Amino acid sequence: MAENRDDILIAIRYALLKKGAKQTFSLFFLIVFSISIIALDKISPSYIKPVKNVLNDVVYRVAVVSAQPTRLSRHIFKTINKHYNVMSENKFLKKEIEYFKHQQFNNAYLASENVILKTALNLSDDKGFAQNFSISARVILDQNSPFLKSILINKGTNSNIAKGMTVFSNDYLMGTVVETNYITSRVLLLTDLNSKLPIIIENTNINGILEGTGKKKNLQLIYLPENYEIEPNKTIFTSGKDGFLTPGIPVARIYLKKKKVLIKLLADPDQALIVNVTNGQINK
Amino acid sequence: MYYLIKLKKKIFHSLPVIFLYFFSFYHFQMPEIGKINFFAFNIQMIIVYFYILKFPEHLGYGNIFLAGIINDTVIGTPLGTTSLSYLSLSLFTSYIRNATIRPIMTAEWFTFIPALFFSNLVYLLIINNFSNVSFYYLELLQITFFTFLFFPIFHYVFTQYQKLITEQ
Repeated sequence: MAENRDDILIAIRYALLKKGAKQTFSLFFLIVFSISIIALDKISPSYIKPVKNVLNDVVYRVAVVSAQPTRLSRHIFKTINKHYNVMSENKFLKKEIEYFKHQQFNNAYLASENVILKTALNLSDDKGFAQNFSISARVILDQNSPFLKSILINKGTNSNIAKGMTVFSNDYLMGTVVETNYITSRVLLLTDLNSKLPIIIENTNINGILEGTGKKKNLQLIYLPENYEIEPNKTIFTSGKDGFLTPGIPVARIYLKKKKVLIKLLADPDQALIVNVTNGQINK
Repeated sequence: MYYLIKLKKKIFHSLPVIFLYFFSFYHFQMPEIGKINFFAFNIQMIIVYFYILKFPEHLGYGNIFLAGIINDTVIGTPLGTTSLSYLSLSLFTSYIRNATIRPIMTAEWFTFIPALFFSNLVYLLIINNFSNVSFYYLELLQITFFTFLFFPIFHYVFTQYQKLITEQ
C-alpha cells in the first residue's frame, strides 16, 4: 500500500518537475506562472492594462490574418455552390418560361372570351388597376399604439394626397389615408380594429367583410354566408362592392396553423419603409 | 541543399506546434447539422494530450502555455485560464505516460476522459471564481464529448504523420 502511494507520488513529482530533453520550462514553473497571471488579471494593477492592450492588439491582428485562408476557402466553396445553383436555376427558369408561354395563350383565349361574354351581357369593362395618381412616400413613424394601428408618411396635401386614398406596400394593399396634413399623412392600417373592407375569396363567389383585429397574422372575416367554412391556401381580394376600391386587389391570404384557420395580411406593415399612395377608387 | 532538408525537417517536426497556435488564433466552426454542432470540438486539447502522451519532445510546455494565453485573448476569458487548463491536462497526461507500461490506443482513449474532466474542472473553477463570464454548461459538455469522440481519428492521423516523418 505504502509502495503504491510512493509510486504515485514519484510519478506526479516526475511529471511536474522533470523538464525532459526538449522542454525549456518545467510544468510546475508554468502552472505557478499561469496562476500568477490569473491573479494579476483579477487584481488588474495599473501597469497590466497597457501590456494587455498591446497583447490584445497583436493577437487580434494575427487572428484576423489567420482567418484569411478559411475565409478564402469559404468564398471558393460559396462561388462553386452558386455556380451549380445558377445551373439548376436556369433549368427551372426554362421550364417556367415554357409553362408561362403556354399560360399566355390560355390567358389570351380567356380574355377574348371574357370580352365576348361581357359584350353579350352588356357589362361595363373595368380597367382594374389602372391608376391616374400614384406617389411614393416614406414611412416616418410606425408607432405600435394599443389604440390605433396606423403609420405616418412624409407626404401630405402639398403632394396632392387626399383622405381616402389607398396605400400599397410592395403591391399589396396596406391601408387607407385617414388624415392629411400639409407635409404628412396618417394611414390607417388594415390590421386596425376600425378597418372594414369588402372582399371576395379566391375561386369562390363568397363575399364578406375583412375586419382588423390589431394583429397582422390574425384578421377576421365577418358577414360570411351561414355554414360556410373558410378553406386555407386561398387569397382574399377586394370585391369593389363599396364602390370605392378597385376590385381584384390582393389583400390577405388564408392559411392553416396548428389546425387553426388564420388570415394573414399580404403586406407587412412592420417592414414597410416606402409605400405607394394611389387613388385606387372606381368613382374618381 | 543540406540546409533546405534541415529546414524541411524542422517544419515537419514543428507542425503540431504550428497547428496548436493556428487553432488558438482561429476558432473554426462548421455549420450545424440539425440542432447539434458535431464539429464543435477542442482540437487543441487533442493535440496537447496526444503529443504529451506519445511524443513529448515535439511539443514544449512553453508553447502550450503561450497557446493558452493566445486562446484567452481571442475568446476573452481571463488571461491564464486556458493556459492553466492545458497545463493541467499536460500534467495529467504526463502522469499517465509515466504510469503506463504498455500503451494501447483504447486505454489512451479512455484515459482521455479523466484528463478532459480534470482540465475542464480547472477551467470551470477559474471562470466561476475569477470572472463574471457566463457560459453555457451544455455547450461545454457537448464540446468535451465530441473532443473525446473524435480522439481516435486524430490519434490515427497523428500516428501516421509521425511515422511518415520518422521514415523521412
